[in-house]
Amino acid sequence: MVGQFLRRHGGRIVTYIGFLIFAFVMLFPFYFIVVSSFTPRYEIFQTPPRYFPQNLTLENYPNMIATIPFWQYYANSLIFAIGSSLLSTVVSAMAGYGLARLKFPGSNLVFLGLVLSIALPQVALLVPIREMYNVLGLNNTHLGLIILMSSLVTPFTVWIMVSFVNQIPVEIEEAALIDGATLWQTILRIVLPTMRPALATMLIINFINAWNELLYPMIFATRNDTKTLSVGLISLGREAIGTSRPWDRMSAMSVLMIIPVVILIIFGQRAIVSGLTRGAVK
Amino acid sequence: MVANAENSRTVTRVKTSRLSLNQRRYVAAALLLAPVILLRLFTTLYPFVQTIFLSFEKYNPAFPPRQYVGLGNFEKIASDIVVRSSVEFTLIFVFGSTLFQLIFGIMVASLLNSRFRLRNLARTINLIPWAIPMVVAAVGWRWLFDGTYGWITDLLHRLGIDYSWLIDPVGARIAILIVSVWKSTPFVAISILAGLQGVSEELYEAARVDGANAWQSFWSITLPLIMPLTVTIGMFMLVWQLAVFDLPYAMTSGGPGFATSVLAYQIQQQVATLNYGYASALSVVMFLIVGLIGIIGVVAFRRVQVAL
Repeated sequence: MVGQFLRRHGGRIVTYIGFLIFAFVMLFPFYFIVVSSFTPRYEIFQTPPRYFPQNLTLENYPNMIATIPFWQYYANSLIFAIGSSLLSTVVSAMAGYGLARLKFPGSNLVFLGLVLSIALPQVALLVPIREMYNVLGLNNTHLGLIILMSSLVTPFTVWIMVSFVNQIPVEIEEAALIDGATLWQTILRIVLPTMRPALATMLIINFINAWNELLYPMIFATRNDTKTLSVGLISLGREAIGTSRPWDRMSAMSVLMIIPVVILIIFGQRAIVSGLTRGAVK
Repeated sequence: MVANAENSRTVTRVKTSRLSLNQRRYVAAALLLAPVILLRLFTTLYPFVQTIFLSFEKYNPAFPPRQYVGLGNFEKIASDIVVRSSVEFTLIFVFGSTLFQLIFGIMVASLLNSRFRLRNLARTINLIPWAIPMVVAAVGWRWLFDGTYGWITDLLHRLGIDYSWLIDPVGARIAILIVSVWKSTPFVAISILAGLQGVSEELYEAARVDGANAWQSFWSITLPLIMPLTVTIGMFMLVWQLAVFDLPYAMTSGGPGFATSVLAYQIQQQVATLNYGYASALSVVMFLIVGLIGIIGVVAFRRVQVAL
C-alpha cells in the first residue's frame, strides 16, 4: 500500500522535500547577512541571538560609509569588474573563433596549452608578477589589475567560446566567403552577431568573477584609489573595536556588495546556466 | 578622387591575393590569437619559469643581498612546522571539499534537472552562493559560527551541545570545509547538470519498462554515464581549490594557531612580507602538488573509461 502510494507520488514528494532542504541551506546565510544589516548594533551583540529582529534600522549603512571610503571602493570595483570582463570576453571570443575555425598546424596544441595553463595556480605566480609590475609601473593602477584578472579568466572563456563556435553551422560563413566577402567582413558581420549569446554569458560570468576577486586587488592595489570592495570588507573587519568584529557595518557592506551580483543572476540565470553547462559538455 | 580610391582598392586586393587562402587564414588566426597568448605568456608562463629560478635564491628586497642558496629554501620548508601543517590541511581541504561538492553536486544537479514547477527558481537560488563574493560568504559564516553570538552555536546550544567551532582546531577546519562545500557545490551542480541533460530520455523509458525504479536507473544509467564528466569536474575543482586563499584568510586568518592555514595562505603571507625566495619555493611545492593531482586524474580517468 505504502509502496504503491510512493510509486505514484513518491517522485514528486521527494523532489519538493529536496527543494525545500536545498533552498533553506542555500539561502539561510544570505538571510542572516541581510537581516543583520538591518539590526541595530546593540541587538546584534546580544545573547541569545534574535532570529527575527524586533527593531529594524538603517543606521548600519551610514555608519559603515562613515568608516571607510566606501563609494570610492565601489567605483574601483566597478571599473575593475567591467574592464576585465570586457577585455577578457573580447580577446577570448577572438581566440575562440581563431581556434575553432581557422585551423592551423599546432592549433590543437595551442588550445591544450591554454586550457592546461589553468593548472598553474594564481597565488603561486605572484612574486615575478610583482617584480615585473614594479618595473612597468603597473602597481596600483586599474590597467594593471584589469590585465591580471582578464588573463586569469581567459582559459575558461576561450574554452566556452570554442565550443560555442563549433556549434554554429559553418555553411553561412562559407556562403559569405563565396559571395566575395573578405574574411574580416565575414567575422564582423556574420560571426559576431551569432556569437552574441556567448558574449553576453561570458560578460556576466567574468564580471561576477572579478567583482568577487580578492587576491589580485589585495596584492596589487594597496592604495585607496584602486582598492576594491573585497579588500575594503577585510580592512573593515580588522577595525575591531574591543574584542568583537564590527559585524553591524560589515553586514551592511556585504549587502551592498551582493546587490549587483544578485541582480545579474536574477536576470541572467538562463544565460549563466547555459554558458556554464556548455563548458562542461565539451 | 573616386577613381583613385577605386585604384588603391584594387591594388590592395592584388596585394592580399598574393597570399594563398591558407596563408591568409594563418595570418588571421595569428592576429586573433595574439592578445590571449600574450596575456597568458605575460602572466603565467613567464612568472612560472621565473618562480622556479627564484626558489633557489634567498631574496628579500627589504634585506639585501640577494643570493643563490641551492636547495636551502626547500630544506627550510621540510623543517617548517607551520608549512607542514598547512600542506596537511591543504590536502584535507582540497580533497575533502571536492569529494563533498561532487556528492552534493550530483544531488543538486538531479534536482535542477527534474521537471517540477519551481525548477527555474531552484536554478536561480542555486546560483546565489556561487555568485556572492567569497569574502562576504566567509565573514558571514564566520559570524554564524561565532562562539558567543553565532546562530549555529546558539542552535546547537538549544539542542544541548555546547561547542565553540572556531576555537577548536578540528572544529575550525570542519567549519572551513562546510563553507567551501556550500559555496562551490552550485558550480559543480551546474556542470553536472550539463551531463544529465545529455542522457537521453529513451534510456530511462527502457529501464522503466524493464521495471527499474528511480533509484536503480540512477545507479545503473545516470551515474555511469556522467562519471567521465564528474571525474573531469573533480580534477578541475581539485586544482582550482588548491589556490583558494580568500576563504581561510577572511574567515579564520588561518587560526586557531595555524590549524586552518593552507599553502596558498602561507604563500600570500610570505609575499606580503617580501620573502620572495621562500614564497617561490612554497610555490614550487604547490606546482608539485598540482602535478600529483594531474597524475591521480589521469589514472582515475583511465579507470572510468575502462569501466565503461
